[in-house]
Amino acid sequence: MTITEDELNALVGHRFPGGRYRVAHWENWLLTDCTGSDQLPDGLVHPIALFHAPILGSRTSIAELFARCRAAGPGSVSLLSYDWEYLEPLREDVDYRCEGGIVEAARSSSPSGRRVDTIAFRIELFADHRLVARVTNRWRLHRAEA
Amino acid sequence: MTASAGVSIGDQVPPWTMESVDPARMKTMAAILRDPYPVHWDRAGNERVGLGPRVINQGPLNVGYIANMLMAWAGPSSIRRLTLAFGRPVLDGDRVSAHGVVTEIDERDGEPFAACDVWLERDGEHVVTGTAVVCTAALAAAAGDPGHRRSLDRREGLAT
Repeated sequence: MTITEDELNALVGHRFPGGRYRVAHWENWLLTDCTGSDQLPDGLVHPIALFHAPILGSRTSIAELFARCRAAGPGSVSLLSYDWEYLEPLREDVDYRCEGGIVEAARSSSPSGRRVDTIAFRIELFADHRLVARVTNRWRLHRAEA
Repeated sequence: MTASAGVSIGDQVPPWTMESVDPARMKTMAAILRDPYPVHWDRAGNERVGLGPRVINQGPLNVGYIANMLMAWAGPSSIRRLTLAFGRPVLDGDRVSAHGVVTEIDERDGEPFAACDVWLERDGEHVVTGTAVVCTAALAAAAGDPGHRRSLDRREGLAT
């Protein structure tokens, strides 16, 4: 599965359809439990919901992102960085409007000479027109071809 | 500013430890995240493609251990920003601990903040590194500053 540098660069500016996401109590309970934390009080959503809630709320998915970036399969994608901003704490059963898209794409070579692509996507979450959170996630895609 | 009520530059955030990263939790996470990537739940598949006989923890779970540390220290609604870089993968069965140290303190709109260097450590190796910005109103309130108690109440939605 290949992607030319022009095709890679053309990913920048791609906008996700956008939509809404609501974290249900059961979902937050399981998410929090997976981290090993006690459950949070007052309907607070665990901070790591800022991974899946923006992705799913903006009407994309990990699978769709991998396909769009033409990831080659297991072991070909690794995390580079997350920048997650919380302007307000997220709460269960609140509708958040999610809007975003791909904001960076770059090609480089690893020290061993393999081709490595980096993409970043940014999604903002709004409640009643207030910006409540912003995420920028960077992934590294390891390409088979040199 | 080098100190505000309850917090000083150089303070260590009390560490938070996950004694053994659990592959069953990764399966639950994969379902919640709708993550079809089998490196998180298919040990045999990982071995077949040369990734070894263990599954790889999801990045958000690694972030979660750092978030748990910060929330245990400064309160459940204290986190304002997490900026993290991923170095090495965390695997099932790993023992990892989250650590942090206060590097800067400030006050914005009446709320006290601490910037921290944070990291996730396995056998002395830093596998996730970065910075966090945390509201320290709960720490200030615990130290007896009523003004910061009010700012915390606003954040929690307890005051109008």
